[in-house]
Amino acid sequence: MKTKGLFLTMFLVITMLVNAQENVGITGFARTYEGVNLETGDFSIIQQTLNLSFDKRGEKVAFKANPMVYHYNSDSLSFNLREIYADMYFKNFDLRVGKQQIVWGKADGVFITDIVSPLNLTEFLLPDFDEIRIGVVSAKMDYYIGNSTIEAIWIPQFTPTKTPAPNSIWYIKPEFPAPATFDWSKDKINPSLENSEFFLKYSAMTSKIDFDLMGGYTWDDNPTMHVQKHFAIDTTTMPPQPMLTGLTITPEHHRLTVGGASFSTEIKGIILRGEAAYYDGKYFQTTDPKAQDGIVKKNYLHYVVGLDFSIGDLKLSTQFIQQYILDYNDMIYDDEMINTATFLARYDLFRETLHLELFSYIGLTNEDALIRPKITYDFDDGFSILLGANIFVGDENGMFGRYQDNSMVYTKIKYSF
Amino acid sequence: MKKLMIKTVILAVFVAMNLGAKAQLTGRQIVEKAYNLPTGKEQTSTLTMTLINSRGNTRVRKIKQFKKDFGDVEKKIMFFISPADVKNTSFMNWSYDSDKPDDQWIYLPALKKVKRISSDSKSDYFMGSDFTYDDLGDRKLDADVHKLLREETVNGIKCYVVQSIPKDEDYMYSKTITWIRKDNFVGVKKEFYDEDGELLKILTIKKVEKISGYWVITKSEMKNVQKNHKTIIELSNVRFNTGIPASTFTERMMMRGL
Repeated sequence: MKTKGLFLTMFLVITMLVNAQENVGITGFARTYEGVNLETGDFSIIQQTLNLSFDKRGEKVAFKANPMVYHYNSDSLSFNLREIYADMYFKNFDLRVGKQQIVWGKADGVFITDIVSPLNLTEFLLPDFDEIRIGVVSAKMDYYIGNSTIEAIWIPQFTPTKTPAPNSIWYIKPEFPAPATFDWSKDKINPSLENSEFFLKYSAMTSKIDFDLMGGYTWDDNPTMHVQKHFAIDTTTMPPQPMLTGLTITPEHHRLTVGGASFSTEIKGIILRGEAAYYDGKYFQTTDPKAQDGIVKKNYLHYVVGLDFSIGDLKLSTQFIQQYILDYNDMIYDDEMINTATFLARYDLFRETLHLELFSYIGLTNEDALIRPKITYDFDDGFSILLGANIFVGDENGMFGRYQDNSMVYTKIKYSF
Repeated sequence: MKKLMIKTVILAVFVAMNLGAKAQLTGRQIVEKAYNLPTGKEQTSTLTMTLINSRGNTRVRKIKQFKKDFGDVEKKIMFFISPADVKNTSFMNWSYDSDKPDDQWIYLPALKKVKRISSDSKSDYFMGSDFTYDDLGDRKLDADVHKLLREETVNGIKCYVVQSIPKDEDYMYSKTITWIRKDNFVGVKKEFYDEDGELLKILTIKKVEKISGYWVITKSEMKNVQKNHKTIIELSNVRFNTGIPASTFTERMMMRGL
């Protein structure tokens, strides 16, 4: 706690010093967030957040620093420097260097070509998306040709997906057929030129259609679990049989080559969106006894199509998402196809001071869902009160149904400044 | 958020244009002259919108906006300055001379991406105000049937009184009645009637200024008489033909902001 207290003190001092400087813009929010588990009545989350964004911009250069402080329960403090970068503006191109969140693609709430910034899934998919994405230390160049942009990104240090800790309500304990030990020796990727990630995107905004073409030479944000089985001979059977006595599991990140595209266009008042990513060689777990380390490499397709439209004052949006493993065989642990849908309905009342919203992820393959209704009241400019629920239903093996014990109601009060 | 520049700020951004016509004009001709008043090739301004509810409580929205006419397309970009929770949001609209629907995009800083949005929502209210997008923008001349009702003197100013009935029967207004000055075709007042034919809103032009040779409505008020709330729009820092680069109206600038 001493270290954290020192951190916070430094943070506040820096804030005051920066505030004393002229022309540095300070924006952000303070937020209190409390959630109660519907089944047990226990608090699922008690979180206080301070988000500060310092900006200064000139004609040719700019900088941004975005520290965030999360205070959990009564004593746990977490500091996160979400972004800190410098911008340089030239006639036809811009450079951004530093820790930054990079967002690609046209999909909402799903990550198809949006794979540059890894995800913080310590609270599953519940936080706002700008808080789910992890900033990456990178250099980004955008070169502009009319309404087209070529974007090139170099990430010297790989950052993996952040997963829930074993004591988290969002942690899913893996089940093994025998006692397992983990070998973490290959889990880290040393920062080096050789281990860098590279992304390239061409995007165009035209009067008929907006589209992107992207490619990436990256690492799989999620480690592949290499499994080595240990056997002994069971002499109690006749004839003696090999018996599985243990597993050594070695998490290891692998290289991925990804290509993709996205588009968005309007047809008679309806926005049609699409996005696809093709993974050239991604590892999957398999039960094939001949497979080395219990894994197999397959090509993989992930895509979405979506519509945004209105019925009167009701704003609606729906998406269909498919994950598809090519050249599939039945020994692969994952399903060949996983189909998911999303649905969003939004209605504003009282001169846009009261907002009703229903957002759902619907697992079509496993027949499960996450249903997220919420009501937000703008009590004053920049001050909102939110009452919402996260309801997990359906098959316990599904991505959402597995969390059905975590259904919750929650409130957020947020002051933006 | 569609058509929000000043010409634009109200159906009646009507600049002086003395025709000296002797013959009686039709309702359509009067509205056409009001629609076609010159507003400059380029325009920059700051828009302040004050929303006042029935209890007198106010909410304020501030926007910096740019417009440029490229000939067959007019491009506009708006940057939201306040309130804090919408700061750095930007909106861009490309409006075509042809019948092609507008193209529109919004940049939400929390999402960090520019999204194409539908332009098919002209009856929506803009940022919770009493102005719809259509009220703020250039509604197509022939979307309504215009009829000259009478001539009338308002505060000592001679005006045409024109009734406009939408051709689309499902439109949110059953009719509007506009008072347009006879001498310069500047709007003075407008009444909006709901689908039941009841008076819904009254637009009153409070202040008109001549800036760089163009008449600009710099203050107007829209009052919802049924719900007793109103919105005041004020324009400041209005500048014409300052040489806005074409690159202002791009995704790059939407994301970079002011």
